[in-house]
Amino acid sequence: MSSAAGPDPSEAPEERHFLSTAEAAALERELLEDYRFGRQQLVELCGHASAVAVTKAFPLPALSRKQRTVLVVCGPEQNGAVGLVCARHLRVFEYEPTIFYPTRSLDLLHRDLTTQCEKMDIPFLSYLPTELINEAYGLVVDAVLGPGVEPGEVGGPCTRALATLKLLSIPLVSLDIPSGWDAETGSDSEDGLRPDVLVSLAAPKRCAGRFSGRHHFVAGRFVPDDVRRKFALRLPGYTGTDCVAAL
Amino acid sequence: MSRLRALLGLGLLVAGSRVPRIKSQTIACRSGPTWWGPQRLNSGGRWDSEVMASTVVKYLSQEEAQAVDQELFNEYQFSVDQLMELAGLSCATAIAKAYPPTSMSRSPPTVLVICGPGNNGGDGLVCARHLKLFGYEPTIYYPKRPNKPLFTALVTQCQKMDIPFLGEMPAEPMTIDELYELVVDAIFGFSFKGDVREPFHSILSVLKGLTVPIASIDIPSGAGIQKVGWGRLGPYPPDSCPHQV
Repeated sequence: MSSAAGPDPSEAPEERHFLSTAEAAALERELLEDYRFGRQQLVELCGHASAVAVTKAFPLPALSRKQRTVLVVCGPEQNGAVGLVCARHLRVFEYEPTIFYPTRSLDLLHRDLTTQCEKMDIPFLSYLPTELINEAYGLVVDAVLGPGVEPGEVGGPCTRALATLKLLSIPLVSLDIPSGWDAETGSDSEDGLRPDVLVSLAAPKRCAGRFSGRHHFVAGRFVPDDVRRKFALRLPGYTGTDCVAAL
Repeated sequence: MSRLRALLGLGLLVAGSRVPRIKSQTIACRSGPTWWGPQRLNSGGRWDSEVMASTVVKYLSQEEAQAVDQELFNEYQFSVDQLMELAGLSCATAIAKAYPPTSMSRSPPTVLVICGPGNNGGDGLVCARHLKLFGYEPTIYYPKRPNKPLFTALVTQCQKMDIPFLGEMPAEPMTIDELYELVVDAIFGFSFKGDVREPFHSILSVLKGLTVPIASIDIPSGAGIQKVGWGRLGPYPPDSCPHQV
């Protein structure tokens, strides 16, 4: 077996519902290094599953034309990449996504994901229409900050975007963790959001214990059973071929 | 409302990123509904059977299929890994809908996935992995493996998930019928041309003698996709292995 970090074997193998930031990173490392998953693969599965979670929380047939418009706010790190994939699948699912991606990562993965969205005619905003956001969109997807990314790292435009997202009157869906929350404690920083829906990627992070919105989903069904057991993780039962499970 | 949206459209879009829509009359599948969404998925990705029955599905020729692929790679900058993952996941989903675990005799149901030497085989590797997550017990036969990182990584993912790889193909159809409840044919895809070389010729002969169902990824292997009349391995209903992009 690999020597990747995991829980202390002398501890009782009681199954937990959440991962710490360090454990989430270790789990990802195991998938990438031992299982030879590609980062692009995992980001694609997470983004696709996030879009499916949005369709479960806000099913298309029940939405008016305006309500189908989704603003996806993407940061420059992995969380943002997941947001770009999510937007593309929302388009395939016949929602009308628009993307705000002010601080662009230069890495190839982000650039290709951006191209895919552009080619599918998903508009990219040049600035965030603060006063009009509640009128123009039916819901917002927060894909700005993931676990372990400091708000200070992502630059002014993202920080200002988060300030706008705090004042929404339309529903907010956060991917993995509400941007600005401390991934461990869930304590509200200045930029803390209160999302209606939390979509935990692969497994809930510890801060999800403080989530009090309407729906909490786990999305991204790719954690092999051995890895799940190694991290003493109890995941909700996925039914059939679903890639999303409600908690 | 529409004035507001027009205002947003004029003032806020990043003009440089607007790529002119490609005028490609040769890619016939782009006429009519946009090609990436010919089938309607309602929430949760479940099939709306009424919509499916009334939607006219276009079948692609080999040239058209290859052209779609090229456009996805060259214009849309999709990677092979990305599309293969989506393809394999969609196939596993389709197979699980056609043959749900509750309808099978064994628990978990046993499935033999036969992977060919190219991308169709790669789709099969991804499909096997997702079938395992869906509660099936897949076994893989993968006799000719390309020496490329994409494929070696997919093999590692399956091996690490304890999906066995057979050392040789069972010689008798009856053996397969006894051990497996379903066979997934991921041998050849739409790029296939020419004669079937060994070991695949023998493999296809064995598959023709099976009584258990076969699910073929993309096309029944060995069938020229321009021709009709492909015997035991098909045809299968169009929704048996859709590609969802």
